[in-house]
Amino acid sequence: MISIENVSQSFPGVQALDQVSFTIRDGEVHGLVGENGAGKSTLIKILSGIYPDYAGTIRFDGEVRRFGAVHEAQAGGVATIFQELTVIRELSVAENIFLGREPVRAGGRLDWNAMWAKSRAVLSFLDAPLDPRAPVRTLSVANQQLVEICKALVLNSRVIIMDEPTSSLTEHEVRQLFTQIRRLKERGITILYVSHKIEEIFAICDSVTVFRDGRHIATVDRQATSPDQVISMMVGRSLSMLFPPRTSRRGELLLSVRGASRAGEFQDVSFELHEGEIIGFAGLIGAGRTELARALFGATPLTSGEVGLQGRPSGAFRHPSQALANGVAYLSEDRKREGLMLELSIRENMSLAVLRRISRYLFLRPRRERELVDSYINRFKIRLTSVDQLVESLSGGNQQKVVISKLLMTEARVFIFDEPTRGVDVGAKYEIYKIMNDLTAEGRGILFISSELPEVLGVSDRILCMREGRLVREFSREEADPEGVMRVLTGGEAA
Amino acid sequence: MNAARPALKRVLGLRELPILVYLAIMIAVFSIAVGGFFSFKNFENISRQIATVGIVSVGMTLIILTGGIDLSVGAILSFAINIGGLGIVAGWPMWVAYPFMLLLGLVLGWLNGFLITRIAVPALIITLGTMNIYRGVIMVITRGRYITPIPKAYEAIGSGYVPFILLALVLALFIYISLRTRFGRNLFAIGGGEQSAVYSGVPVRRYKMIVYTISGLLSALAGMILVGKSGFIQPQAGLGYEMSAIAAVVIGGTSIFGGSGSVLGTFLGSVLMGLILAGLTMLAVNPYWQGLITGVLIILAIALDTVRQLRRK
Repeated sequence: MISIENVSQSFPGVQALDQVSFTIRDGEVHGLVGENGAGKSTLIKILSGIYPDYAGTIRFDGEVRRFGAVHEAQAGGVATIFQELTVIRELSVAENIFLGREPVRAGGRLDWNAMWAKSRAVLSFLDAPLDPRAPVRTLSVANQQLVEICKALVLNSRVIIMDEPTSSLTEHEVRQLFTQIRRLKERGITILYVSHKIEEIFAICDSVTVFRDGRHIATVDRQATSPDQVISMMVGRSLSMLFPPRTSRRGELLLSVRGASRAGEFQDVSFELHEGEIIGFAGLIGAGRTELARALFGATPLTSGEVGLQGRPSGAFRHPSQALANGVAYLSEDRKREGLMLELSIRENMSLAVLRRISRYLFLRPRRERELVDSYINRFKIRLTSVDQLVESLSGGNQQKVVISKLLMTEARVFIFDEPTRGVDVGAKYEIYKIMNDLTAEGRGILFISSELPEVLGVSDRILCMREGRLVREFSREEADPEGVMRVLTGGEAA
Repeated sequence: MNAARPALKRVLGLRELPILVYLAIMIAVFSIAVGGFFSFKNFENISRQIATVGIVSVGMTLIILTGGIDLSVGAILSFAINIGGLGIVAGWPMWVAYPFMLLLGLVLGWLNGFLITRIAVPALIITLGTMNIYRGVIMVITRGRYITPIPKAYEAIGSGYVPFILLALVLALFIYISLRTRFGRNLFAIGGGEQSAVYSGVPVRRYKMIVYTISGLLSALAGMILVGKSGFIQPQAGLGYEMSAIAAVVIGGTSIFGGSGSVLGTFLGSVLMGLILAGLTMLAVNPYWQGLITGVLIILAIALDTVRQLRRK
């Protein structure tokens, strides 16, 4: 039993955890939920020895323990599988499993046979058909995660913490992960499952703890609660409507795509986007949606196909700057690499795509820049202390609003939003949907890519289903139901 | 709130603060330890000495801001004056020889930029290659011979305040460009997140070509000052300048990974290194110690910057 008693942690200017107390029972799968910034990550880092300077006490089976480093936590039986996996890609599965604890023979020589044999044993316990000698870089993300679980098992961990373990897994892989979790549970291992996906919590956990703004709100048995109740505890208000009401008015043709193909990525994709319309692109990971978006934005070339803007053939763009100049903007799914410059200020990030407009000749006009940036900060209620603050220090939702502001400033007509709500809390998601509605009310069109089916169905006017690089079916808003769409996406039903 | 508070906070938040503190300490220490250090004549002397590396460092700052690096600046400097020097030998007038040297610097810098933006190999490797190529070509063409003497008129650019004035002009121009122009802002963006910059419509390739070209041009200018100062041209000119320039940039607070830093900081970095060099020389310290001290300074500067960044988070 782990009892967390009055644990607090503060950073300059932030109370990350405020007098948190709750208990995790032995052998249960304990869900920890909360919006971004609720304090989940801070608690994980305390439990795994990264933040040793917290206030309060943590008892394992009644005994007070305070881990000063990750290896101390591991020795104490607590292993953490972070969202950013810590496997070393160039090493083999076995080397990763035993990293830092390699079995050796006399003279310090590595005992490869023991390493492979023990790796096979632990892999077979998890029913994972992996070759211990295979380099980890050749494995899928899901299997890399399995290697991390094996690592925790050879450490004889009693507690395994999983931080957003499904964030880059497919539906099928998620089901496999749940099977593994049940196996671990049968073995008496306690699991702290941290996520903000409510469905997963209800699918796998025995009890749920909710954090909000660094405080502990409740710990309840799964049977004694409901998803709606947990969501309302997370956001502090009842979200009877997850999606803002939407009235669509379809206007003139904005973008037409005919027979777009790119070798190895997508084939023969055709559709039209009108003013005021949100087209949702549903699909599993690897269906070719992001690849299509990138090609439409000019980041990669089309192999064949025609693109037209406002009814005139425009040809495919050869560079993102050309797309932007023609009123097509792309919000990347990879916010950190393709959306933001993390170590630059909010102001510099926001104005980057419109520097030409705030300059006279070659020279920037700081006043105009400030005015423009301030107007968007007010419009989207971005929470910040200063526009010169580094973007890195913002929460996921506010970071996303910075990227969206940057794109809106370009006054594009066509927006491609690729996973705009990824890593964003429930409240900020709602605001992003509202921004999308406002954009279409102004006559712009949006291509909306998302892997979360409920949001595709909740926001889009039409839903285009992609599977293995092809458009397989179109649903209208009215005829789309989750089960039907999922059957199409997984290939359970012909087009 | 007290009105002086935000001003104080701004000064404390200045990225050039650590280097300013170092500078003040160094000046104080040397002024006490060395008679005649705190004199106009000495500072004038130092100013002449730092002008060449200082100008090269400005170009290096722009490159490092974009997340790149250029190891060939010393080689470009040498190439420009040695090959350009053939024109002097051939009796070209100065107004042809000088622009020719600048042109050589510009072309070699452009070539670096071209290779870096066309081949998917880090700038470090490309410029390590071009450094050797440029130096190799110099040796083949000059066969290792010095060009001496050179006409008196060429010495003007290296005497009196001229080197320092040129440095000041270069500094003023690039401080302004880096802070107040679209081009300057985009350099920070490229270093801060290249892919994000591409997706924001920044012509990353073109701007990278431009920074390497500018750096080549500035290296050639520094070479011309060196010729004026020494009165001859030697094939080994500019040896090790790339390291001094990178040191000045880093000591001046620019992140070696790009995205943050300042041209002013680099200038202060070159001043600091120049002061230490002069002070130690006047103290008759064995010159071998100078490398050691520069090394310590680089590590100190980076350590301080890391602490500052941690505090900011």
